[in-house]
Amino acid sequence: MSYLKTRSLIATVALTFTSPLIAGDDPLHERHELMEGVGDAAKPIGQMLKGEQDFDAAVVMTSLKTFDEAAAQFGELFPPGSETGEGTEAAPAIWEDRAGFDKALATWSDAVDAAIAANPQTVEETKTVAGPVFNACKGCHDDYRIEDE
Amino acid sequence: MLISRLLRVLAVLFAVIMVAAWWMTRPQTIAATDLPDHQPDPAGGERVFWLGGCASCHASPVNGKRAKGDDKLLLGGGLELDTPYGVFRVPNISPHVDDGIGGWTSVDFVNAMQRGVSPDGRHYYPSFPYTSYARMPVEDVMDLKAFLDTLPPVSGRIEAHSLGFPWSVRRGIGAWKRRYLVEEPMTFGVSPTLVERGRLLVEGAGHCGECHTPRDRFGGMLRERWLAGAPNPEGKGRVPNITPGGENISEWSAADIAYYLESGFTPEFDTVGGSMVAVQENMAKLSAEDRAAIAAYLRALPVLD
Repeated sequence: MSYLKTRSLIATVALTFTSPLIAGDDPLHERHELMEGVGDAAKPIGQMLKGEQDFDAAVVMTSLKTFDEAAAQFGELFPPGSETGEGTEAAPAIWEDRAGFDKALATWSDAVDAAIAANPQTVEETKTVAGPVFNACKGCHDDYRIEDE
Repeated sequence: MLISRLLRVLAVLFAVIMVAAWWMTRPQTIAATDLPDHQPDPAGGERVFWLGGCASCHASPVNGKRAKGDDKLLLGGGLELDTPYGVFRVPNISPHVDDGIGGWTSVDFVNAMQRGVSPDGRHYYPSFPYTSYARMPVEDVMDLKAFLDTLPPVSGRIEAHSLGFPWSVRRGIGAWKRRYLVEEPMTFGVSPTLVERGRLLVEGAGHCGECHTPRDRFGGMLRERWLAGAPNPEGKGRVPNITPGGENISEWSAADIAYYLESGFTPEFDTVGGSMVAVQENMAKLSAEDRAAIAAYLRALPVLD
């Protein structure tokens, strides 16, 4: 066995055993909390776009940073074995089509990165960059979330 | 002697009842001469197309999933609706002359949409929601046909429905229609213009009540429970109450409803789910005024728990 193969095998074994630890002891709870936080952060942006709240570029940026942090952690919170329980709305498709799920997550992450880089200073600019971010939320929920009702 | 006379009377009576039943359940259509003098406008028809969500049922599924993007304009049918009455198969309504509705006249289309009668004079099952479309302005129906004619023809006929008895007796729909096919508004009262515009959209082409209103055991809508929520016709769970008494929507403003229909986001910034995803994507294609009218109508409804 070559050195490289051995190393990748070790890496694989290590990942297999440590990923549940990276994900924490309770990934269902953690990802639920994380998603609630994302929803809370989206709310002020949406209210500014709707004209229900005065525009504040700093608040928009804070929300975008919250998305960014969540996007970085989110993928790890769906380890094998966390498919059901705690009333999770995660759809079986996440585990059946992991590549598709990761791609949908990357779409969101990329849109958030672009929005942060654009650093929007007006409602119009925010609308332009927030559109792809919000559409990514919807796109992923459409395919990878089940309805509790 | 007496018995044979009695039998003869009964036979005549039976025949009379059968003829009366045949007469009472006959498909009733309107004539071409009854159509208004209206030049059909495909652009107006496109608005009706998205409002009605024609594609949600008639667009051919792609790899077993609902069509997205431009595939929504390929109306070859083929979706199967698995219901307590049996399996309904959605037909091809693309402008294909042989397999779709390309050969239909304007009045053929109006009779299908507003009377539930096919060009060859048979009843359609109300899985095709003509009970709602009966409340549409007839000009909108004519415009819709003009828009459908601009779409690509799709070949392929769809198999017939597979229904259990007695639902399999198509003629029986004639009796059903006498009770449930009504053009009168579902809601009454003096309406401001915006609310009335919303009423036409919600009760007519939008056919919101088909899922959001509970039905009696014959599948007719319960008028007194209009839009007050119902069991999900496509599976488990419930379709929500969207009157101002609804559990979630009671907290929403008219602006929230309009924004939800435009963006798919609730005021809590959760996203639209389930069958409503396709509906919301269609509503997003309407004008802001139409969405505001729908919201105004929903807020003006009687409060039902």
